[in-house]
Amino acid sequence: MGAKAAENGAKSSSSAPSPPPLKAFFRLKTKQQELLIRVASLALIYVLAFAVRLFSVLRYESMIHEFDPYFNYRTTLFLTRNGFYEFWNWFDSESWYPLGRIIGGTLYPGLMVTAALIYRLLRFLTFAVHIREVCVLTAPFFASNTTIVAYFFGKEIWDSGAGLVAAALIAICPGYISRSVAGSYDNEGVAIFALLFTFYLFVKAVNTGSLAWALASAFGYFYMVSAWGGYVFIINLIPLYVLVLLVTGRYSMRLYVAYNCMYILGMLLAMQIRFVGFQHVQSGEHMAAMGVFFLLQVFYFLDWVKYMLNDKQLFQSFLRITLTFAISVGALALGIGTASGYISPWTGRFYSLLDPTYAKDHIPIIASVSEHQPTAWSSFMFDFHILLFLFPAGLYFCFKRLSDATIFIVMYGLTSMYFAGVMVRLILVAAPAVCLISAIAISATVKNLTSLIRTKGKAPLAVSGKGSSSLKASAKRSEAQALRFRSLESAEAQALHFRSLESAEAQALASETSKAHEASADQSLPFQHNCAIALLVGAFYLLSRYAIHCTWVTSEAYSSPSIVLAARGAHGGRVIFDDYREAYYWLRQNTPADAKVMSWWDYGYQITAMGNRTVIVDNNTWNNTHIATVGRAMSSYEPEAYEIMQSLDVDYVLVVFGGLTGYSSDDINKFLWMVRIGGGVFPVIKEPDYLVNGEYRVDKGAAPKMLNCLMYKLAYYRFGEMTTEYGKPTGYDRARGVEIGNKDIKLEYLEEAFTTSNWIIRIYKVKPPKNRW
Amino acid sequence: MASLIPIATLILLAAATSAAVPSGDDLVAELQTLRDQSPSGVIRLNDRLVSRFLSSVDTPRPYSFLIFFDANQLRSKAELHLPHLHSEFSLLSASFAAHHKEDDVSSSRLFFCDIEFGESQQSFGLFGVSSLPHARLVTPSTRSLRDSVSMDQSDISRGADSMADFVEAKTKISLGGPILRPPLISLRQVLFLLAAVLISAPFLIRRILEGDTFFHDRRVWMSLALFVYFFGVSGTMHNIIRNMPMVLPDRSNPDRLIFFYQGSGMQLGAEGFAIGSLYMVVGLVLAFVTHLLVRFRNISVQRGFMLVGMLLAYWAVSKVIYLDNWKTGYSIHAFWPKSWRG
Repeated sequence: MGAKAAENGAKSSSSAPSPPPLKAFFRLKTKQQELLIRVASLALIYVLAFAVRLFSVLRYESMIHEFDPYFNYRTTLFLTRNGFYEFWNWFDSESWYPLGRIIGGTLYPGLMVTAALIYRLLRFLTFAVHIREVCVLTAPFFASNTTIVAYFFGKEIWDSGAGLVAAALIAICPGYISRSVAGSYDNEGVAIFALLFTFYLFVKAVNTGSLAWALASAFGYFYMVSAWGGYVFIINLIPLYVLVLLVTGRYSMRLYVAYNCMYILGMLLAMQIRFVGFQHVQSGEHMAAMGVFFLLQVFYFLDWVKYMLNDKQLFQSFLRITLTFAISVGALALGIGTASGYISPWTGRFYSLLDPTYAKDHIPIIASVSEHQPTAWSSFMFDFHILLFLFPAGLYFCFKRLSDATIFIVMYGLTSMYFAGVMVRLILVAAPAVCLISAIAISATVKNLTSLIRTKGKAPLAVSGKGSSSLKASAKRSEAQALRFRSLESAEAQALHFRSLESAEAQALASETSKAHEASADQSLPFQHNCAIALLVGAFYLLSRYAIHCTWVTSEAYSSPSIVLAARGAHGGRVIFDDYREAYYWLRQNTPADAKVMSWWDYGYQITAMGNRTVIVDNNTWNNTHIATVGRAMSSYEPEAYEIMQSLDVDYVLVVFGGLTGYSSDDINKFLWMVRIGGGVFPVIKEPDYLVNGEYRVDKGAAPKMLNCLMYKLAYYRFGEMTTEYGKPTGYDRARGVEIGNKDIKLEYLEEAFTTSNWIIRIYKVKPPKNRW
Repeated sequence: MASLIPIATLILLAAATSAAVPSGDDLVAELQTLRDQSPSGVIRLNDRLVSRFLSSVDTPRPYSFLIFFDANQLRSKAELHLPHLHSEFSLLSASFAAHHKEDDVSSSRLFFCDIEFGESQQSFGLFGVSSLPHARLVTPSTRSLRDSVSMDQSDISRGADSMADFVEAKTKISLGGPILRPPLISLRQVLFLLAAVLISAPFLIRRILEGDTFFHDRRVWMSLALFVYFFGVSGTMHNIIRNMPMVLPDRSNPDRLIFFYQGSGMQLGAEGFAIGSLYMVVGLVLAFVTHLLVRFRNISVQRGFMLVGMLLAYWAVSKVIYLDNWKTGYSIHAFWPKSWRG
């Protein structure tokens, strides 16, 4: 694009009479001005996308967030210290004690390798950074890159104006920010970039039919596979897209080249990732791609035969025979493959996307995870705001100007929208598509409006046709100016945070403009100019609401690291609870290096990463029995729990307790899950034993088993002596708002080792076996 | 003669007691006959049979009973899923029978039964069952029926597979194989469908190649696309997965209905559709204005509709934003520099 524009500039300057040198230096040609503004606004968007994600660093500090990122951080650290081959063959004995975990074969290495490469590069450039800073800022960095990809993608499917708007929208879209703030060092941060990049390259390949672009998209796909399990979305969406093109009679040689190259090379590359391996040719989720691949060959073959035969009648009969044959062979192969077990059936997670009620009925583990919940409309609104109103308008524009590229973006938008409805976390995948489609709506609308304003005073344009095609035609003349106008706006937009619009108006605008255009063909309306200005103002009002919404959401809702807790104090000030790290550093400093820590699996990654101690279970929940054993220990009486802990060589037990601070996601509130999971494997544990009339209580009316199980004792040990709130009895649990039922807790086999300053984390030491003599 | 009478009574008594307390083998044979009478192998118990096979037989009995408690009057209540659970139970029974066809010993150790509340209320009292769905396992050693092992709600509701796990855990009798479910469509239907597809495919594909189907009509695609959009943003998936009702009755005022649920992460059916429609209104106004309105010749009509459209769109957007703030409880505001606040 840059080269093209430069070429244009050169051409125009050579053709123009040469003005004085200094003046020429400042007076740019329209094309050059446009290019300058475009590049400048893109640069601003790039910075904005990065900067808006730094709220978490400003409000807390530069640290890794949540749970999974701690594992990623730990593996990255290992990778930078020991090199790639060590990493690839790493057997981790510090987690899942005594089983251990093969790391290299059970993760997507893309994120770690990326961060390590950035780290190496910075080191090479003699920037003395710590690997943690690189990890913290990886997600914002890739979010910035995503905006660039969005620009080119928008340019490919519509025009460069739409690209700019798309870049601006995606830079601050909350649906994307939720997974890419600084510190959120997770696979998704890199994967959304890879996803959009692959799609862009593929669309480019289809549009040009060039092998080079197809090859690039294969590599983009490889990067995506290495980074995130969500690559399955790509390998199903692209075949679906090809199929739709075939069905709607849009088969072309370009499509043939693009798909075949991308599929074959992408498949070979993807199989290099150990976690994927032969699944790529064997599992049911990838069969659609293979089927479409063969279908394309049939299409090509038929095309060739048609060309050779030159006889319509003969070709028809040939067509019938070939197709019947091909389809039966395909069906037979699929049937035999499935029956013989060579093609594995769909995984539960994939199946639950297609038939959403499946997970609820059959896979409680998937259904219970909070980010797998179905999406209510308010989450859509929260994550997309006005983009949702613009979406149908964008769809409409896409259908008005149907091409291979717009078909792709429509399909991407719709499928991801459906998936986002099934699972909250997939809003992330839908975010780029929604931004692109909405950008088309905004861009087309604003373009029309501005061209309307500009044509005022000139002779009415001769507009032929109607609807948006007329817009386009009329827009063409003043395109350069309009473009400049638009890019100015978007530049401004990002600089101040603008952008939110009553989508309504945006679309109304579009319509209005087209209408107005139609009218302008007949006569120049006196109102037209004012009306367009009013609509423009309305549009920018909405866009600015969007910007305000995004900023607020990012700052208040999506920037919490969840490892450091913030609360409003009595006087409105912020109170920070840093108990997690306090506890983990205590473990690191005060326990033997080979100590084994037992906790609920949620904290496993954090303990290994920050405390550097061996854990029994962690967030990679691959072994249900092992987790159930821990759940059983937590829900048993102390002597039985002691036996289990002895068998697992446990030295320390860590529990999270929110009774003093009112922190509600603590172990007491998670306890029923421990009972359920424990009871799922060991029938000795029965959920009703811990409930009173189906009610979960911790006060005096609690079930006796509840009051004496290990978890209760560890959480509430000596809590009965504590006054937590003025005017309440001692032992008043603020998280549940009750006075606890067992205030006199004696520990026989464990002793308190450490309790953090706000009692959020309590660590107990398991006593050695009693001396028998 | 007088001395004969007591003897006769004695013999009669003995005969009577031997009839009242038959041997274990007799009972098993009787049960097997009962089982053969039902296609799925589920024995319908009543008060008499319960006393005959369970309460009046000394422990240890030579068999276990897995009893499903049913009630005809509650079958219409959708939230209990009684018909579905009963069919799962029958499936389990039939699968058990199929896997133990040859093995007479193990098949006579476990019997599947059901009890209907209307005809055997007394037995419900004996078991102490007060709520449904409910299933009990009476092991050979269970003395009092109240002490029989009850199956967890979660085990029952997850269908035949988890029921089988429960039985295996408690009685050590394994099912001996997977649950044999009847296929959704029979083999003949599959073959027929396959043949139909194969025969029609060439014709269909030919038409597609010629470019003359409704697949080539972009309006069809457009309306499909809008439908998917509506489906997605209105949270219909949420309603389907969670089985959300359309509206809730207001607890404090029974005459009123709650259409909107406050609190994010949850929504009611009607609520989602209302919001989805608001989104759609905006899109449709656009389509109307750009597509139909331009065909009107009269400028003032155009202008009037245009104004109405703009107002409508403005109303829809502000309504949705207001509702969202109300629902989530967030008050979204801009961040201005401190010095601007004064």
